[in-house]
Amino acid sequence: MPTDIKVLVIDDEFDFCYFVKTNLMQSGPFDVLIATTGTEGIELARTERPDIILLDLFMPEMPGEDVADALKEYPETADIPILFVTALASNDDLSLNQEGKIGNNYIMPKPIRTKKLIQTIMKILDRT
Amino acid sequence: MDMAAPLSRKRIIFLVRLTVILTTVYFMLFPPSGGQGLQTWGYLFIVFYLLTNLVVAYIPDRYFYDDRIFYGFILCDSILLPAGIYLSGYVGSDLYLMFFFIISLTTMSSHFGYLIINTFFFSFLYAWLLYQRGLLTGPHATGYWIQIPFILVIAMFYGYLVTTRLQDKDKKINEVRAYYEQIVRGTDVFMCIVDREGKIIFANPKIINFYGYQNKDDLVGLELSQLYSEDETEAEKTLRQVKSVFERNETSRHESFDKKHGIWFAHTLSPIRDAATKDVSAVCIISKDITDRIEKENKLNNTIELLIKTRDQLMQQDKMAALGRMASGIAHEIRNPLEIIYMGLDYLENNIPDDQVQIREAIDKMYHAANRADNIIKNILSFSRKSEWKIVQLPICKLLKNTLELARQSLQKKNVAARLECADESLEVAADYNMLEHLFLNLFENAADAMADREERILTIRAYKKRITEIGYKTGYRYTDFFKIGDDMVVVEVSDTGKGIPKDVLPKIFEPFFTTKPVNEGTGLGLSIAHMIIERLSGTIDVASQENVGTTFFVKLQPEMKFITKQEE
Repeated sequence: MPTDIKVLVIDDEFDFCYFVKTNLMQSGPFDVLIATTGTEGIELARTERPDIILLDLFMPEMPGEDVADALKEYPETADIPILFVTALASNDDLSLNQEGKIGNNYIMPKPIRTKKLIQTIMKILDRT
Repeated sequence: MDMAAPLSRKRIIFLVRLTVILTTVYFMLFPPSGGQGLQTWGYLFIVFYLLTNLVVAYIPDRYFYDDRIFYGFILCDSILLPAGIYLSGYVGSDLYLMFFFIISLTTMSSHFGYLIINTFFFSFLYAWLLYQRGLLTGPHATGYWIQIPFILVIAMFYGYLVTTRLQDKDKKINEVRAYYEQIVRGTDVFMCIVDREGKIIFANPKIINFYGYQNKDDLVGLELSQLYSEDETEAEKTLRQVKSVFERNETSRHESFDKKHGIWFAHTLSPIRDAATKDVSAVCIISKDITDRIEKENKLNNTIELLIKTRDQLMQQDKMAALGRMASGIAHEIRNPLEIIYMGLDYLENNIPDDQVQIREAIDKMYHAANRADNIIKNILSFSRKSEWKIVQLPICKLLKNTLELARQSLQKKNVAARLECADESLEVAADYNMLEHLFLNLFENAADAMADREERILTIRAYKKRITEIGYKTGYRYTDFFKIGDDMVVVEVSDTGKGIPKDVLPKIFEPFFTTKPVNEGTGLGLSIAHMIIERLSGTIDVASQENVGTTFFVKLQPEMKFITKQEE
């Protein structure tokens, strides 16, 4: 549906993408796109213009930070909010502030449950 | 007299007197014409003289180098001989005795000047005696006239020979003595000679000055222990060494520290042996100032110690860094699948009818299991992350107070009364605040859990400074020890009145994943992480426990940063 929130998930773990898509689309007005590599993700982002991008930091082909930088380069994707999702951190040691940010970036540590994920997505989108 | 044989003064006197005796005996037996044989007085004289010569034979040589004794003998003989001759009434052959007598007298001259004076004087005396007896004008006058220059020449000749030999010998002795005296005087070492009881026989100028005396006579006769007045153990040690050299007849060496002057000495004690008996008659102690060397040695040892410590710590850091990297990697590898499990469970939950209670329960249990796994990862990661550690000097009592405050709710819920005893509010330790907090929180919670079924639930926390006196785990004298005997450490005691830990369990409590709690209630990592944190801080942890009485953990920490190297980012 056109009012659905379009979410692009870029993560090299396919099963994760699968579940995010299934659970999000079951739980709310979400339209979820999947990419398992950074390059694929950038392509999809440019063509589909999602409302929010879920980006894994640690990917073998192209690290998440590079993907984010590339997205910033393209005008059509530069303003799309990015939610970094990563297993490399936990709540304690990243010293996330109240909004789950480090600096200007939103970070969601794995593992997360679907409910929390949805809450976070909504919070981010409500802002923008 | 055999001119080639070494002439000692004693030998001279002895031989001369012997010659006198023999000559006299000869004239007694074969009196020359015109003379009478020696009368009774003569015999007595010879016997007496013989006896005294025997005595001379037994007097040690060195006495004759005392001028008083040597010239004393000569004087006595000078009086005795003429007296004897006179008393014997013998006129004729006494002149032959006089002949030898004069020669022997002149050979006693220690000096060429005296030699010449003596020779001429006695030759003239002889000439006058001859004249007195009218021999110079009598029938055999020519013979007697010739005797005068003859005696002059002979006396001069023998005198010259003897004197030069003696002088040579004396000169040589003096040269040698001067040579050794120079060595002893100019040497940079401390030298003294002591006897069996440690009494000083000789001390060189260096020692005399060092101990503040004026000249060596002040020192001679002093006991060594009086020199080392401030330090009885040193004196005893040296005295023992001296005695040992006497007994074993071997050189011995040892080192000692002079507290008063702050100098390290290396002593060499060598035996001085009697030339004849080869027994030890004295000990020569040569001492050298080795403070420099000792200081350099100490510095070297300290540097080595520091290097080893640093190397160990670097190795440790390396290990920890590797662990950290591994932990990160492992965490990542485990968390991704965990994430999928969560999301999978979410999906199942969403798609199972509400009335499928058992299935929902199963899903619940799976969540808990996944949570437990995640918690373990969290625990390991939080500990192994290098960048989190900031080791500073912090006030331990304040930290304990704050930590107690954090645990207050949990403790109150379990009805535990907590007591903090801090002797000194300014007590400090070198540690990372968060890690210590984590550690003590863990200990407090363990304590509270241990008292769950008890009537009396008191948690006592004590913090104090303690001087290390006993050897223990990583505590002792070795380079690798965290705590050295004599240093200080800060001890934090966490005591509970709980059910205690059985003896067979006690050695295992710090093992990772070891827990006596039911499966859902704990990871079993708390104490092992506590142990790792403490080791990281170069501290140690001990536990004492009595079943049904309680348990006390002793956390021993470094009071100062100097032992822990700062973590480099």
